[in-house]
Amino acid sequence: MAEPGLVLEGVTAGYVGAPVVRDVGLRVLPGEVVGLVGPNGSGKTTLVRVASRALRPRSGRVSVQGFDPYRIGGREAARLVAVVPQDVTPAFSFTVLEMVLMGRTPHLPAWGGGGPEDWARARAAMAATQVHHLADRPIDELSGGERRRAILAQALAQDAPLLLLDEPTTHLDIRHVLDLLGIVRGLAAREGTAVLAILHDLNLAASACDRLVVLHGGTVVAEGVPGSVVTPSLLRSVYGVEADVAVDEATGLPMVRVEPPPARPPSVGRRAHVVGGAGRGAPFLRRLTEAGFDVSVGVLHASDSDATAAERLNLVRVSVPPFSDIDEEAAGACRALMLAADLVVVCDAPFGPGNVANLRLALEAAHAGVRTFLLEGSPIHERDFTGGQATALWSELVGSATVVRSYEELAVEVR
Amino acid sequence: MRTAVRFRRVLLGLALALVAAFLLGVAVGAVWVTPWSTIRLVGWKLGLVDRPEDVARSAEVIVFQLRLPRVLLAAIVGAALAASGTVFQGLFRNALADPAIIGVSSGAALGAVLVIVTIGAGSLGAFGVPLAAFCGAMATAILVYRLARIGPTVHVATLLLAGIAVAAVISSVMSLVMSFSGEEIRNIYAWLLGGLVAQGWRSIATVLPVVAVGLAGATLVSRELNLVALGEERAAQLGVEVDRLKRRAIAVGALLAAGAVSVAGVIGFVGLMTPHLLRLVIGADHRRLLPAAVLGGAILLILADLAARTIIAPSELPVGVVTALLGGPFFLFLLRREGRRAGARG
Repeated sequence: MAEPGLVLEGVTAGYVGAPVVRDVGLRVLPGEVVGLVGPNGSGKTTLVRVASRALRPRSGRVSVQGFDPYRIGGREAARLVAVVPQDVTPAFSFTVLEMVLMGRTPHLPAWGGGGPEDWARARAAMAATQVHHLADRPIDELSGGERRRAILAQALAQDAPLLLLDEPTTHLDIRHVLDLLGIVRGLAAREGTAVLAILHDLNLAASACDRLVVLHGGTVVAEGVPGSVVTPSLLRSVYGVEADVAVDEATGLPMVRVEPPPARPPSVGRRAHVVGGAGRGAPFLRRLTEAGFDVSVGVLHASDSDATAAERLNLVRVSVPPFSDIDEEAAGACRALMLAADLVVVCDAPFGPGNVANLRLALEAAHAGVRTFLLEGSPIHERDFTGGQATALWSELVGSATVVRSYEELAVEVR
Repeated sequence: MRTAVRFRRVLLGLALALVAAFLLGVAVGAVWVTPWSTIRLVGWKLGLVDRPEDVARSAEVIVFQLRLPRVLLAAIVGAALAASGTVFQGLFRNALADPAIIGVSSGAALGAVLVIVTIGAGSLGAFGVPLAAFCGAMATAILVYRLARIGPTVHVATLLLAGIAVAAVISSVMSLVMSFSGEEIRNIYAWLLGGLVAQGWRSIATVLPVVAVGLAGATLVSRELNLVALGEERAAQLGVEVDRLKRRAIAVGALLAAGAVSVAGVIGFVGLMTPHLLRLVIGADHRRLLPAAVLGGAILLILADLAARTIIAPSELPVGVVTALLGGPFFLFLLRREGRRAGARG
């Protein structure tokens, strides 16, 4: 076979008007799982339709196992390409077994039913997708996830060397998402099936695919192993989002971390200074910002997740390098911020020798008349890693500050 | 499998019921002819037994000249209508399709009437009228399909509206044609209402080959109709040449409806009720549904015709009136349920 798997070369395709995909080149080798990612409307489904013989490209070349699917019959093409569509809603109430047996259609003679081989294939497909116990159930009585798995079984029964999946994981719970991707990877490894899957979840795509192809505005903008493709700059240019990409130490795979941008109401003209640490401050930074406060934070260690949160929110912050104590310079800067603030919020962070100075600064501010709030989610002695020093400072603070248990209580106090 | 076992049982039950309905249809009338006499008379005609001496000569005439052809015709027409309904329901992906409701029967009738009025029923040979009916049915089916389809789906509302609109146009054209038909108008009118009145063996000889070809065609498209029920794009992904299948299915559905209409006029609701009820019992697989609907449709029309000629005996109701009395409420019930389901979907 000259060209096993799927080859697209210079494919331009669309419906009426301007083409949806332009000059796209793509290759999926046997045994390879390729993820097709990109924002909504980037042309992913159009490309899958081109490969599945549903949309003849205006120009360019399509090859499946060396054949042009548009030059062979529908039956022959269906023996080469199996598709798992987003959803199938039958007009009549077929049973799961009947549905899965329909996957054997391209292998059946023009007239007559399936033989033992077809039944065996259908049963194997149902067992693989865990719908065998539903064989006699009408498909319209199944849950969304069960129906998706029955449709996957239908496509598996087709027994084709190229499998195209259009967002196969929507409506599935996390266990069935993992099962489905496991089945697909197993198929590629054991049968040498070439797999092209449209996936929306980048982390899932990175972990399930050997290679990713990123489509944006109808063209391929990046391609390669997940680690080289999923980068902050790509997320910014393609999706327009700011995201952190960490590398999972156990697998070496990229992990995207995103959160919805905070609401930015008009400023209330007051500034809150937050003493955080170990991520305890991050929710307060976000919610105070969303409530219209100007927010400052410090002193933090630069590696602390509170520092990352403050950076994303673009807040005024005082920080020191990781694992170092708070030096005079940082303390001075922070003291100035606290004394000029309208309120100081001390979060229930753990306190050790590296950050106990923050409590001293807060005490100074409280004594100077700045409204100070202590968040006491857990008792101080559980968070004291200074041998009693932090507990003593905290107790003194309680005398001149207001103790709150949650952001909601704080919000009531400062309204 | 469970469904396969049930299918065999249902098919056997329907076959027995058909034999019973057949004997009943022959037995009942102004003169009662016992089923046993009928069985022996038929056996004698087939050369299996000697002529039964205790059966009167008049009974022999009644059975062979009147009732047997009539019941046989009812069975053939009922089977054809049910099979046509099955094919159209599969093609339209809609359980409310029926050759009469979607206007195909009216189209067939117009084709037939045009030939009868313009050049005479017999001038094109035995198959002239069925052929004209087929052309009319085919044209109507294509037209309604085009009108009813919005994007990839055929909605209930558009299908019914398209059917009603097309049937209304056809019926006014038909009135126009009939006003030029002179003395034949009464016969044509009686035929249009749907009747199996005393047609004799000649009608059977005409309609049987037409329906046989139609049933063979329906059998050939039945498996792929299953896949069309999943949506046209999905059917294509699974290897069905959808456009070719649609052309074939329309031709087959139109041929079956045309065969029925050309001998019995417009008889509604047999093609709606039969596949619908049987689908509830044996499931949606058209390969099973089709033979079951053929038997069910035959039974239904034999019994409907029996009612039509006995309720106000010695006069007769058109059999189309009886099926409409049965099927109308059934149709309204389905329409209401379908509407409620669509409402629940959103």
